[in-house]
Amino acid sequence: MGLKLVNVSKSFGKKLVVDNISFSLDKPGVFGLLGTNGAGKTTTIRMLLGILTKDKGAITWNGEEVNRKKVNFGYLPEERGVYPKVTVYNQLMYFASLKGMNKEKANNAIKKWAKELKVEEYLNMNAEKLSKGNQQKIQFMSAIIHEPELIVLDEPFSGLDPVNTEILKNIIISLVKEGKYVIMSAHGMATIEEFCEEILILDKGKTVLQGNLKEIKNSYPANRVVLHVNKNIDNFLEKLSLEVEFMKNNEYVIKINNEEKAHELLKLLIKEQIIINKFEIMKPTLNDIFIEKVGA
Amino acid sequence: MRDIFVVMKFTILDMLRRKSYIISTIVILLLIVVGFNIPKIISNVSSDNNKERILIIDEENIFANNLSILDSLGLNYEFSYDNLEEEKIKEQIDNDTIDSALIISKDDNMINMRYLVENVLFIDSIPEDLIDSLSTIYTKMQINKLNLTKEEEESLMPHFNYNIEQVSQEVNGNVIVMMLLSIVLFYAVYFCAYQISSSITTEKTSKIIETLVTSTSPKNIVLGKTIGIGITGLLQMVLILLTAVISAKCFLAPNLLSMLVDIKSINLSLGIFIIIYFLLGYFTYALLYALTGSTVAKPEDVQSANTPVAIITVLGFYLAYFTMMDPLSELGKFTALFPISSPFCMPFCIMMGIASPKDIILSLTILVITILIIAKLAIKIYSNAILNYGSKMSLGEIFRMSKNK
Repeated sequence: MGLKLVNVSKSFGKKLVVDNISFSLDKPGVFGLLGTNGAGKTTTIRMLLGILTKDKGAITWNGEEVNRKKVNFGYLPEERGVYPKVTVYNQLMYFASLKGMNKEKANNAIKKWAKELKVEEYLNMNAEKLSKGNQQKIQFMSAIIHEPELIVLDEPFSGLDPVNTEILKNIIISLVKEGKYVIMSAHGMATIEEFCEEILILDKGKTVLQGNLKEIKNSYPANRVVLHVNKNIDNFLEKLSLEVEFMKNNEYVIKINNEEKAHELLKLLIKEQIIINKFEIMKPTLNDIFIEKVGA
Repeated sequence: MRDIFVVMKFTILDMLRRKSYIISTIVILLLIVVGFNIPKIISNVSSDNNKERILIIDEENIFANNLSILDSLGLNYEFSYDNLEEEKIKEQIDNDTIDSALIISKDDNMINMRYLVENVLFIDSIPEDLIDSLSTIYTKMQINKLNLTKEEEESLMPHFNYNIEQVSQEVNGNVIVMMLLSIVLFYAVYFCAYQISSSITTEKTSKIIETLVTSTSPKNIVLGKTIGIGITGLLQMVLILLTAVISAKCFLAPNLLSMLVDIKSINLSLGIFIIIYFLLGYFTYALLYALTGSTVAKPEDVQSANTPVAIITVLGFYLAYFTMMDPLSELGKFTALFPISSPFCMPFCIMMGIASPKDIILSLTILVITILIIAKLAIKIYSNAILNYGSKMSLGEIFRMSKNK
């Protein structure tokens, strides 16, 4: 069951853009596709949607070769686009019709999602009159209006304000609860950490890291201590030759190599009778891992 | 098939809602109504008040007081008759009391006429119709002096009857109707089909194309758009033709339209062939425009990308035009079969009776095969060039894409 990519490659001319990548989504959830600009994320998405033909490999959905006619998917492209001179309602109705919905069902779906995304008042306006964020929400609606099983979201939160980001996040969470498979590409690592169980990091078309996000993070040693004390301990930390990444109001973020180093620090703080309000040993963030893998 | 219909319906509604479409249609219809009224307007403006005022001076009474006959001949002049001195005449012309003066004198058997005008730069020659009328009046005066019988009189006055008859029995028909139909097809292609390329490019510019191609196949998009824009274009043309016919009936002289355009020369089978060739011709060019629209991503590149198709359209139209001028030429045979020109030309050849059933079948076959090839190529280029957001594609790139799967 689910989506499976096996040894998929794509070249443009002599340039290999996607090099032999494989991943799968076996159960409903959000899969994170990460990479720097030009790493091959969008090309991978376009191949699995059938916009681009792959040079080699296999892309299957529920065991069958992916075919636009057979797979009911929704797609929010990275390139935002709407028909500027057409009303929001008419363009949503158009895409719903192309996806096989009858008028009544499409009408109900448009009203339901317009309410959820708080764009009801814009339905009869030409899309060009909407803000970029609202246009993005309209495009998101056209991606999910037909209740697709597989949803591909390329940078879904870029350009959205915090309120709309929250609305979209809640909808994505509810879609996953309904059993949808979601592939998400994003530059914001915090977003990926929030949503994704499985990730794949691409660099220059090659897979540099892949797997369960928790397992990946657990495989890395702790690299920070967050410490809140009752006084300034700059001199104390300097004597210990510890690198302070951040300090404000006696709250420190201290870089460490491993957990033993954190334990040693804790012992010394107690020995010096420094009052500790907070002491937390931190695993590396996805951002740290991403920079380590593709930042060089 | 359902998706083609959905794309077509959306395209039609989108086109009909566009201000540019509505305004251009209204402006064209108004121009037609005004255009058909121009003869009336001109005749009203140039009514009696604007007739050229000519003073005729016949001091020697050569016309024996018969000059007043001129007033009853319906000539577009306002005559006055007086024997003024030349200085006075010049004064009247300068004062704009009259526009010109015709001084008649006789020298032996020669009748002299001096035509005085304010400035010779604005006058080509002495008005011929006036001279002809004077000549006729004078001739009648001389004949009357001979006291001839009515029969003798009539035998002296020439009554010519002109009639043109065709020697060859092979070609006959109404060339004007066919020329008009060619112009209508040319208009459909030049002004309507070209919007297909513009529509495709707009979808690229607005980046909607990625959502669109994941919603339906490129084939459905290209065909749906072509048919949709075709229907709106045809609707515009039907409105134009209807307005033209109604205006002609209302504002032109009675029977003038039927004299110029003899619709009776189009029978049912010819009418069917005209419609078939019109639709096939439209599709041939519309798909060529879909192809060129796929190769560009910026509105400013559409014009240059469409230039080759525009040249082909003009070529097709003129090939047909030359054939209509010389239907039995070797060029005519080629033009009737060549897919670029056959939609313009073949209905004419059928009407003239110079196209055999074999020619018609061959011409239709070539045209349909051409459409299928262009459609396949347009869909292939569209599919491959969807994500070309850059500059205009080169011929090499287009050729490579046409070979892609």
